[in-house]
Order: sequence, then structure tokens, then C-alpha cells
Amino acid sequence: MIRRVGSVLRWLVVWLPIGLLGLWSVTRRWPWPALLPTQWQLSAWSDVLGTAGLGPTVLRSVAISTTVALGASIAGFLTSRSAARHARREGLYVFLHLPFVISPVVLGVSLDYLFLRLGVAERAAGVILGQGIVAYAYAVILLSGFWNERIRAFADGAATLGATGLQVWTRVLWPIARPLLAVCLLQTFLISWFDYALVLLIGGGRVVTLTTALYQYFASGDVRLAAACALLLVAPPLLALALHRYPRSTTLIDGWPH
Amino acid sequence: MHGVGNATALRISDLDVSLGSRRVLQDVSFTVDARSTFAVIGGSGCGKTTLLRAIAGLTPIERGRIEVDGRPVEGLAPNRRDVVYLNQEPLLFPHLNLFENLAFGLRLRRRPREEIAVRVDALLSALDLRGLEARQPQALSGGQKQRAAFGRALAVEPAMMLLDEPFGSLDPTTRESMQDLFKQVSRERGITAVFVTHDLKESLRVGDQFAALRDGRCCVYADRAAFCRDPATGVARETAFWSASVEP
Repeated sequence: MIRRVGSVLRWLVVWLPIGLLGLWSVTRRWPWPALLPTQWQLSAWSDVLGTAGLGPTVLRSVAISTTVALGASIAGFLTSRSAARHARREGLYVFLHLPFVISPVVLGVSLDYLFLRLGVAERAAGVILGQGIVAYAYAVILLSGFWNERIRAFADGAATLGATGLQVWTRVLWPIARPLLAVCLLQTFLISWFDYALVLLIGGGRVVTLTTALYQYFASGDVRLAAACALLLVAPPLLALALHRYPRSTTLIDGWPH
Repeated sequence: MHGVGNATALRISDLDVSLGSRRVLQDVSFTVDARSTFAVIGGSGCGKTTLLRAIAGLTPIERGRIEVDGRPVEGLAPNRRDVVYLNQEPLLFPHLNLFENLAFGLRLRRRPREEIAVRVDALLSALDLRGLEARQPQALSGGQKQRAAFGRALAVEPAMMLLDEPFGSLDPTTRESMQDLFKQVSRERGITAVFVTHDLKESLRVGDQFAALRDGRCCVYADRAAFCRDPATGVARETAFWSASVEP
């Protein structure tokens, strides 16, 4: 019974806000105390996907977040081994936590100054670099836990069985790390996807992503557009949740996952 | 019965190994006959694992010479030494099923598909693992995992196998059956092995040649009798204990 109540509560916590956003995005009139809207319309969605020009914004957000996630996860995976085995790793981890300890605004202003000098401020490349710093630090912290003695023993065993350094990475370390790398990819994608401060400060208003567009709609008081935009914003984590609930079985052919 | 084989398969000369500032192995020298098992006994922290890792190329040496089948290997990477190291734990790759674990080394060597199937099939039979080939390692028992790890090493037919207390985590019954299996398979296939253990009985069950490691120094015995006679190995103490236990 308690388990059932718990699952209903979990379901409500996740889906109730999303359901409300969905309702708001198609509402024309919703006077109090009506339980449901009294008049409906789809203009918010046509505005969001059409006249408001959110199509290119969505594509830009996806491109930026995908680049940040791939870059941070791959670089994090390759360098986290050195970090985990470094003699002064404690100090290194303190340094890696800095992007999360200091205020995003302070980080954004500091990076903006640097990126102005590098000529990448107010450009998507600058936003990717800025978010990449935060995502990379997160990836190294997350993936450092992977490099334990057991993994080292797997790599050593593979080497004495005849694997070259590259084969140890491709045939042993990479496949074993795949589930953790998937989590890392998703998390770093979401770090970038939901980022507001760095886009605003480094992008300087010229680089518009879904989060900055959402805040513009909120500021303008257009709840319908804001709701439609917010639904687009939560789509990636919902997709990840759905994929997590229905994992596909992995087939191995010739020692490679397919 | 010293040495089942005759030619020298492994020669270690004046080996020194340090881990950080600590000297772990000092002036270690011995030879292992081809097709025989060199049992090395020693307590925790005496350098047994370091000795095997140094031979396998997984731990750098400070000084000395390592020859496998007359070929100096101390400058070679682990994958080029033709020496397989078996860990204390049966570390089967968790992303591969049993068949693919056994075939791992053969696939690295790009052996033809048919040959891999035949050789893995023979190993499954020899190690009593038939019917389990599609299972993931998590679905195998401790003894099955250990047999599979042994089979994975056998599959590549290495010049030398280095076994680091491979049966230490098994229950006594499974452990004895694994020791018997190891002796049987190593005799059938003419395997040369260095087998380190802290278990006196195990060393006597699997070994053809004997040595003891104490404080990083290796004491090699001329034969089984010399090993048993040395009070430092503890054989006499064990014999006295069991005699006193059995007799009223």
C-alpha cells in the first residue's frame, strides 16, 4: 500500500507540473474557479514553432548542448584516469569543484572578459567554451570514480592477454564505462541545456538559447508562450527518462556491443 | 620429483623491484623448467604479487634480467611478452559473455572465426563449462568464473602463466577441485607456470619446483623434500600439528 502511494506521489511530482504546463500552453481562458480551461487555442505552439522563430533557437540549443556534452564527456573520460591516479588529486578535485562553488554570474563575468580578449565573446563558440569548462569539471569528477583498482586489473589482464594500449581502451575500458558514460553525456547535456547565466553573460544577448528565450517570455508576461517553451525545455530529460525505463538489451558480436 | 620438463622456460636473474621508496624484491634469481609449475610460497606483503607483475611487465623493474624461452623480455610491453597474468580475482570482462571472454585473446590475434569456435568449444569441454557459454559473468559461480579466467588464459597458449593466488577466494572443496583441474590441464597441455600462494598445502599440491619469498628475497629449494625439511616453510610445524591432533 505504502509502495503504491509512493509510486502515485512520484508520478504526480513528475507529471503534474508537466501536465499543467501542457494545459497552459493550449489555454485561451482559464477563469477561477474552473477546474479546466474554458476556452482553448493552439496559437502558442504555432507562435513558438513558427512566428516567434523558436525553431532555429531549438536547433541552436541542441547543437550547443550536444557539442558541450560530447566534448566534455570524451575529454573527461580520457583525462579522468590521470586525475584519479595523480599524487595530488585532492587539490585537483578542489580546483575542479570551483565552477560549482563560485557564483555563475561571477564565473560568467570572469570568462566574458577572457573570451572578449580571445575574440569568442557573443558567439556560440564562446558559450560552448564557457559551458564546456563547467561540464568538463563535472565529467572529470563523475568519471574519476570509474578508475578504481578493479578497472586497472581489467586493463592489466587484457594487456597480458595481448591487447595493445589502444585495444585496452576500445575493447575493455570503453565498453565497461559505457553505462557511466551515458549518464555523463546526459548530465553534461543538461548542464548546458538548462544554463542561463553563461549564455546571457558570454552570449551577450546575441546567442539565444531556449532558456534565455523562456525568460524573455516570462518577463513579457506571456504565460502561454512561456509554458510551450518550458515544455520544449523539459523534453530532453523526459526523453532520457523514457529511454531509461525501457532499456534495450545489448547484443555482443565479436566482442563488440551492437 | 624436481621438474617435469627439462629446458629452462623462465630465467630470472638479480631482480630488484621497488615500489616508491620501498624495496620490495631484492636479488631475486631462479629458473623455471619448461612444462613445470614453480610454486612460490610467502606471507602477505612479502612481494609475491610484485614478482608476478614484474615478470608480466605490469610493474617496472629496477635492475635484473627476465628471460622467457631464452628471450630477454624486460624491455617489452606486457602484450609482447607472451606471458599471461591471472589475478587473485577471476576478473572476467563484465560486458562479454562467457564465450566471448574465452575468445578475447584469440579475437585480439585476429584468428579465423572457425578456429575460435573450435578452440573455445574444446576449452568449454575441458573446463566443464559447456552449456554456460551464453551466460554473463555475473551469472556464474565463483568456481565457474575461476575456470573461465583460467580458460581465457589457456586459449592464447602463452609461453608462461603467472597465477597470483587464483583460488584464494574459493571455498575449500571448490578450491581442491580447482587445484586438481589445474594440475590435470597443465600436464595435458604442457603449461609452464609460476604459482604464488600463501597456502602451504596448495603449493605442495600444484608445485613441481618450490621457492619461498621472505622480505623480498627468494629462497629456491633443490626439490620437494628440501622444501618440506626447511623449518621456515612451516611444513614440519603443520605435520606435527596434524599428528598431534590425530593421535590421542
